[in-house]
Amino acid sequence: MSGTATKENPTAGLYHEFKAQGYDFIVGVPCSYLKGFIKEHEADSALPFIPATREDVALGIAVGAYMAGKKPLVYLQSSGLGHLVNPITSLLKPYGVSVHLLISLRRAPFEHFEMYRITRDLMKLMEYDNYTIVEEQEPE
Amino acid sequence: MKRIEAIRGVMEDVKDELVIATTGMISRELFVVRDRPENFYMCGSMGCALPIGIGVAMSTERPVIVLDGDGAALMSLGSLAVSKFLALPNLTHYVIDNGTYASTGDQPTCSQAVDFASVGHNVKLIRVEPGNEHGTPRIPYKPEEMLARFMGSIG
Repeated sequence: MSGTATKENPTAGLYHEFKAQGYDFIVGVPCSYLKGFIKEHEADSALPFIPATREDVALGIAVGAYMAGKKPLVYLQSSGLGHLVNPITSLLKPYGVSVHLLISLRRAPFEHFEMYRITRDLMKLMEYDNYTIVEEQEPE
Repeated sequence: MKRIEAIRGVMEDVKDELVIATTGMISRELFVVRDRPENFYMCGSMGCALPIGIGVAMSTERPVIVLDGDGAALMSLGSLAVSKFLALPNLTHYVIDNGTYASTGDQPTCSQAVDFASVGHNVKLIRVEPGNEHGTPRIPYKPEEMLARFMGSIG
């Protein structure tokens, strides 16, 4: 995580860290924990901003970008990870495509908790290890 | 009109366009009509053909065609809205509408309730009869081969 992170903006600087690693196509579904990251993306005129409607739409778009030579990154909150089970298991894994996922791990309020509990296990179960987790430090 | 005839009609005019075909019989009928490296047969991940087409079209100047079915377009109707928002000039979205999930045995869809052309961008709706062409083989390529030859064709 970035050295410039603050409590108000826990992902400050993270967007440009990913860009510095060569990610040149970024798409996802918002999370309040990632709002600083997303604000930096919106402010970056060098990369398109795509308002994806759901996580599988974002990942599908990223796969298309990968096919055309981009290095894509998909961001999402853990609550939306279920929508990626289908494209990961029936598109990415069988075709041998790997797209990096930036997952914000949400613990609270209560509706996040069950996916919080199983997020890392679900990624292991799918044998998909190309991801970064950013975890909120204090439950809201 | 049968669906395979609609696919034949689309492919007659295709030159160097990249074609992304949705899962199931549309991919298999496309393979029979005209197999070429510029075709990507998306076996699985129903609903993702248009998102993939969007990602490709945003990342290359090549013209991109998505061959979708009504069931697949309905499964990811939100992606049609994203497509309309982006309004990519090099993307054409064919929705071949037979009112059924034909690949799984002609179970009805709710396609008659939706105006795909008004939801999506550059949608070409082709209404066809339900049912599948008999005897179309499964795509014989390994998935990684399909991906490699498609990516190679983009250059």
